[in-house]
Amino acid sequence: MPQLVTLRIRRPDRRPLRLRVPVIPVLVLLSPLLVLAVLAAAVACRIYRVSAVQALGTGLRVVSALPGARVDIDHGSTAVLVAIR
Amino acid sequence: MNEQRRDVLDLLAEGKITAEEAEQLIAALDRDRPLAGTGSMPGARPKGRPKHLRVVVDTVEKGEPGRVNVRVPLQLLRAGVRLAALIPPQALGRANTELTKAGVPVDLTQLKPEQLEALVEHLEEVSVEVDQPDAKVRVFCE
Repeated sequence: MPQLVTLRIRRPDRRPLRLRVPVIPVLVLLSPLLVLAVLAAAVACRIYRVSAVQALGTGLRVVSALPGARVDIDHGSTAVLVAIR
Repeated sequence: MNEQRRDVLDLLAEGKITAEEAEQLIAALDRDRPLAGTGSMPGARPKGRPKHLRVVVDTVEKGEPGRVNVRVPLQLLRAGVRLAALIPPQALGRANTELTKAGVPVDLTQLKPEQLEALVEHLEEVSVEVDQPDAKVRVFCE
Protein backbone atom coordinates (compact mmCIF):
# COMPACT_ATOMS: atom_id res chain seq x y z
CA MET A 1 0.00 0.00 0.00
CA PRO A 2 1.47 3.41 -0.91
CA GLN A 3 2.38 5.53 2.09
CA LEU A 4 3.74 8.70 0.61
CA VAL A 5 3.46 10.43 -2.75
CA THR A 6 6.12 13.01 -3.51
CA LEU A 7 5.43 15.64 -6.13
CA ARG A 8 8.14 18.06 -7.17
CA ILE A 9 7.67 20.73 -9.80
CA ARG A 10 10.38 23.11 -10.93
CA ARG A 11 9.52 25.98 -13.25
CA PRO A 12 11.90 28.51 -14.76
CA ASP A 13 10.44 31.65 -13.23
CA ARG A 14 8.92 30.37 -10.01
CA ARG A 15 9.97 28.80 -6.76
CA PRO A 16 10.19 25.02 -6.91
CA LEU A 17 7.15 23.31 -5.47
CA ARG A 18 7.61 20.19 -3.39
CA LEU A 19 4.63 18.33 -2.00
CA ARG A 20 4.72 15.24 0.17
CA VAL A 21 1.25 13.72 0.35
CA PRO A 22 0.66 11.08 3.02
CA VAL A 23 -1.73 8.65 1.38
CA ILE A 24 -3.56 7.17 4.38
CA PRO A 25 -4.64 10.50 5.97
CA VAL A 26 -5.78 11.78 2.57
CA LEU A 27 -7.77 8.59 2.00
CA VAL A 28 -9.38 8.95 5.42
CA LEU A 29 -10.24 12.56 4.58
CA LEU A 30 -11.73 11.56 1.24
CA SER A 31 -13.44 8.42 2.55
CA PRO A 32 -17.00 9.67 1.89
CA LEU A 33 -16.09 10.24 -1.76
CA LEU A 34 -14.28 6.91 -1.81
CA VAL A 35 -17.42 5.10 -0.66
CA LEU A 36 -19.38 6.77 -3.46
CA ALA A 37 -16.69 5.81 -5.98
CA VAL A 38 -16.77 2.17 -4.81
CA LEU A 39 -20.57 2.13 -5.11
CA ALA A 40 -20.38 3.61 -8.61
CA ALA A 41 -17.76 1.01 -9.56
CA ALA A 42 -19.99 -1.78 -8.19
CA VAL A 43 -22.91 -0.51 -10.32
CA ALA A 44 -20.63 -0.31 -13.38
CA CYS A 45 -19.47 -3.88 -12.74
CA ARG A 46 -23.10 -5.03 -12.60
CA ILE A 47 -23.99 -3.20 -15.81
CA TYR A 48 -21.00 -4.62 -17.70
CA ARG A 49 -21.34 -8.07 -16.11
CA VAL A 50 -17.92 -8.05 -14.55
CA SER A 51 -17.33 -9.73 -11.19
CA ALA A 52 -17.23 -6.94 -8.59
CA VAL A 53 -15.12 -9.11 -6.26
CA GLN A 54 -12.59 -9.79 -9.01
CA ALA A 55 -12.53 -6.10 -9.94
CA LEU A 56 -11.97 -5.10 -6.30
CA GLY A 57 -9.19 -7.66 -5.91
CA THR A 58 -7.46 -6.49 -9.07
CA GLY A 59 -7.83 -2.85 -8.04
CA LEU A 60 -6.26 -3.57 -4.66
CA ARG A 61 -3.42 -5.48 -6.33
CA VAL A 62 -2.70 -2.55 -8.61
CA VAL A 63 -2.77 -0.05 -5.73
CA SER A 64 -0.58 -2.23 -3.52
CA ALA A 65 1.97 -2.59 -6.35
CA LEU A 66 2.32 1.19 -6.77
CA PRO A 67 5.14 1.80 -4.23
CA GLY A 68 8.42 2.18 -6.05
CA ALA A 69 6.88 3.84 -9.10
CA ARG A 70 8.64 7.01 -10.14
CA VAL A 71 8.27 9.38 -13.06
CA ASP A 72 10.91 12.04 -13.46
CA ILE A 73 10.78 14.47 -16.39
CA ASP A 74 13.48 17.06 -16.71
CA HIS A 75 13.71 19.52 -19.58
CA GLY A 76 16.04 22.48 -19.35
CA SER A 77 15.00 24.46 -16.29
CA THR A 78 11.61 22.72 -15.98
CA ALA A 79 11.20 19.48 -14.10
CA VAL A 80 8.41 17.31 -12.73
CA LEU A 81 8.87 14.39 -10.39
CA VAL A 82 6.20 12.03 -9.09
CA ALA A 83 7.40 9.31 -6.76
CA ILE A 84 5.31 6.83 -4.84
CA ARG A 85 6.65 5.14 -1.73
CA MET B 1 19.73 -34.03 -15.02
CA ASN B 2 22.97 -32.13 -14.62
CA GLU B 3 26.04 -32.77 -16.71
CA GLN B 4 28.20 -34.34 -13.98
CA ARG B 5 25.51 -36.86 -13.12
CA ARG B 6 25.16 -37.72 -16.80
CA ASP B 7 28.95 -38.26 -17.02
CA VAL B 8 28.80 -40.69 -14.09
CA LEU B 9 25.96 -42.63 -15.74
CA ASP B 10 27.89 -42.69 -19.02
CA LEU B 11 30.92 -44.14 -17.22
CA LEU B 12 28.66 -46.77 -15.67
CA ALA B 13 27.09 -47.59 -19.03
CA GLU B 14 30.54 -47.95 -20.60
CA GLY B 15 31.55 -50.31 -17.79
CA LYS B 16 34.39 -48.08 -16.64
CA ILE B 17 33.03 -47.90 -13.09
CA THR B 18 30.91 -50.27 -11.02
CA ALA B 19 27.36 -49.56 -9.84
CA GLU B 20 28.65 -48.99 -6.30
CA GLU B 21 31.22 -46.47 -7.48
CA ALA B 22 28.56 -44.70 -9.52
CA GLU B 23 26.32 -44.55 -6.46
CA GLN B 24 29.12 -43.07 -4.37
CA LEU B 25 29.90 -40.46 -7.04
CA ILE B 26 26.25 -39.45 -7.39
CA ALA B 27 25.91 -39.20 -3.60
CA ALA B 28 28.99 -36.96 -3.54
CA LEU B 29 27.49 -34.78 -6.30
CA ASP B 30 24.23 -34.49 -4.32
CA ARG B 31 26.19 -33.34 -1.28
CA ASP B 32 27.93 -30.66 -3.32
CA ARG B 33 24.84 -29.50 -5.20
CA PRO B 34 23.30 -27.15 -2.58
CA LEU B 35 26.53 -25.16 -2.64
CA ALA B 36 27.22 -25.23 -6.34
CA GLY B 37 23.79 -25.23 -7.93
CA THR B 38 21.70 -22.80 -5.91
CA GLY B 39 21.49 -20.25 -8.70
CA SER B 40 20.50 -22.73 -11.37
CA MET B 41 17.64 -24.44 -9.56
CA PRO B 42 14.32 -23.68 -11.26
CA GLY B 43 12.59 -22.48 -8.11
CA ALA B 44 15.52 -20.52 -6.78
CA ARG B 45 15.66 -16.84 -7.59
CA PRO B 46 18.92 -15.02 -7.72
CA LYS B 47 19.45 -12.26 -5.19
CA GLY B 48 19.70 -9.58 -7.83
CA ARG B 49 16.43 -10.31 -9.54
CA PRO B 50 15.10 -7.15 -11.21
CA LYS B 51 12.19 -5.42 -9.54
CA HIS B 52 11.67 -2.40 -11.75
CA LEU B 53 11.29 -1.62 -15.42
CA ARG B 54 13.23 1.52 -16.25
CA VAL B 55 12.75 3.76 -19.24
CA VAL B 56 15.39 6.46 -19.57
CA VAL B 57 15.29 8.97 -22.41
CA ASP B 58 18.02 11.57 -22.80
CA THR B 59 17.43 14.23 -25.40
CA VAL B 60 18.90 17.48 -26.55
CA GLU B 61 16.22 19.74 -27.99
CA LYS B 62 17.08 23.25 -29.20
CA GLY B 63 20.30 23.08 -27.23
CA GLU B 64 18.53 22.24 -23.98
CA PRO B 65 19.13 18.85 -22.44
CA GLY B 66 16.10 16.85 -21.40
CA ARG B 67 15.69 13.65 -19.48
CA VAL B 68 12.74 11.36 -18.88
CA ASN B 69 13.30 8.77 -16.22
CA VAL B 70 10.43 6.36 -15.52
CA ARG B 71 10.63 3.51 -13.05
CA VAL B 72 7.72 1.08 -12.94
CA PRO B 73 7.63 -1.81 -10.47
CA LEU B 74 7.33 -5.11 -12.36
CA GLN B 75 4.75 -6.07 -9.75
CA LEU B 76 2.61 -3.20 -11.02
CA LEU B 77 2.85 -4.54 -14.58
CA ARG B 78 1.83 -7.99 -13.33
CA ALA B 79 -1.15 -6.49 -11.49
CA GLY B 80 -1.96 -4.36 -14.52
CA VAL B 81 -2.24 -7.29 -16.91
CA ARG B 82 -4.91 -8.75 -14.65
CA LEU B 83 -7.02 -5.72 -15.52
CA ALA B 84 -7.31 -7.23 -19.00
CA ALA B 85 -9.52 -9.94 -17.50
CA LEU B 86 -11.97 -7.25 -16.39
CA ILE B 87 -12.57 -5.80 -19.84
CA PRO B 88 -16.20 -6.57 -20.77
CA PRO B 89 -16.59 -8.89 -23.79
CA GLN B 90 -18.62 -6.20 -25.61
CA ALA B 91 -15.68 -3.80 -25.34
CA LEU B 92 -13.28 -6.45 -26.62
CA GLY B 93 -15.60 -7.10 -29.58
CA ARG B 94 -15.72 -3.41 -30.46
CA ALA B 95 -11.96 -3.08 -30.06
CA ASN B 96 -11.48 -6.09 -32.37
CA THR B 97 -13.70 -4.47 -34.99
CA GLU B 98 -11.78 -1.20 -34.84
CA LEU B 99 -8.44 -2.99 -34.96
CA THR B 100 -9.52 -4.96 -38.01
CA LYS B 101 -10.68 -1.73 -39.68
CA ALA B 102 -7.28 -0.20 -38.96
CA GLY B 103 -5.57 -3.18 -40.62
CA VAL B 104 -4.50 -4.90 -37.41
CA PRO B 105 -6.47 -8.14 -37.33
CA VAL B 106 -5.81 -9.06 -33.70
CA ASP B 107 -8.39 -11.00 -31.74
CA LEU B 108 -8.15 -9.58 -28.22
CA THR B 109 -10.55 -12.21 -26.87
CA GLN B 110 -7.82 -14.80 -27.48
CA LEU B 111 -5.38 -12.89 -25.29
CA LYS B 112 -5.26 -14.67 -21.93
CA PRO B 113 -4.02 -13.06 -18.70
CA GLU B 114 -1.58 -15.98 -18.27
CA GLN B 115 0.03 -15.13 -21.62
CA LEU B 116 0.36 -11.49 -20.60
CA GLU B 117 1.86 -12.53 -17.28
CA ALA B 118 4.40 -14.70 -19.09
CA LEU B 119 5.22 -11.67 -21.24
CA VAL B 120 5.85 -9.53 -18.15
CA GLU B 121 7.89 -12.36 -16.60
CA HIS B 122 10.25 -12.33 -19.57
CA LEU B 123 10.52 -8.54 -19.60
CA GLU B 124 13.21 -9.01 -16.96
CA GLU B 125 15.58 -10.13 -19.69
CA VAL B 126 14.73 -7.28 -22.04
CA SER B 127 17.22 -4.53 -22.69
CA VAL B 128 16.67 -2.01 -25.46
CA GLU B 129 19.06 0.77 -26.34
CA VAL B 130 18.50 3.31 -29.07
CA ASP B 131 21.34 5.72 -29.61
CA GLN B 132 21.00 8.73 -31.90
CA PRO B 133 22.98 11.99 -32.04
CA ASP B 134 20.21 13.98 -30.31
CA ALA B 135 18.52 11.27 -28.28
CA LYS B 136 19.31 8.16 -26.35
CA VAL B 137 16.65 5.72 -25.18
CA ARG B 138 17.25 2.86 -22.78
CA VAL B 139 14.67 0.34 -21.62
CA PHE B 140 15.84 -2.21 -19.10
CA CYS B 141 15.05 -3.92 -15.84
CA GLU B 142 16.96 -3.42 -12.62
